[in-house]
Amino acid sequence: MAYADAIDAMDALGEPMRRRLFERLRTGPSSVGELAAGLPVSRPAVSQHLRVLKEAGLVSERRDGTRRIYRIEPTGLAELRAYIDSFWDDALAAFAAAAEAESRKEEE
Amino acid sequence: MTMQASELAAVKRSVSVPLPVEKAFQLFTDGIGTWWPFVTHSLGGEETEDAVLEPRVGGLVYERRRDGTTEEWADVTAWDPPHRLELSWRVNPTRAEPTEVEVEFVPEGAGTRVELEHRGWERLEDGPEARANYDTGWEFVLGRYSEAAR
Repeated sequence: MAYADAIDAMDALGEPMRRRLFERLRTGPSSVGELAAGLPVSRPAVSQHLRVLKEAGLVSERRDGTRRIYRIEPTGLAELRAYIDSFWDDALAAFAAAAEAESRKEEE
Repeated sequence: MTMQASELAAVKRSVSVPLPVEKAFQLFTDGIGTWWPFVTHSLGGEETEDAVLEPRVGGLVYERRRDGTTEEWADVTAWDPPHRLELSWRVNPTRAEPTEVEVEFVPEGAGTRVELEHRGWERLEDGPEARANYDTGWEFVLGRYSEAAR
């Protein structure tokens, strides 16, 4: 997962309504109608949010007759988590390597 | 699973380098383009060829692409060479929800320990009212930040 992908995923979850929908899915797969129930947004708006989550790799959908059933996409989330975990590790490791190279250069 | 603001844990990382603080600070800031892993850690990926950190409060941190275009990463909000700097870090440059990155340079023998803290994840939400409703999302996604930071 590249930086841009991680940003897409984090941005998708940074929007409160999308995070709310995402959290509803934590209890199991749901249809758009079930997800929209009780939320102060229209179904088309819910569908649009779900599309963004899907594009960010965080949810997937399947058709069940006329309904679309959404579920959390574990792979996408695992990738995001791994990416977030490693972001500063990678950056600081690169910095440390540069610092060691610099230090060796000065010793010579 | 309700969590408090303090539990939207800051990312804390540190690394020890064999350079005195002045040199470590200089490499981290002026030299950022020489070590930053662009391919994986920039918006342009392989198109990014340089990064610049303008050395003053109000300065920008940005990447530069091969075609000459730039994309901003952060603003410098504190500049105290060679001890400390703080950045207002845009997790997503298109949204006005910066997080804070604080970097401290602590003398450690002949070298330096660089301590980095990335915080303000709660700001990615829409404020306290919204938070109360959506309190588990970031915990779920960012929980391992705090584990790793211990």
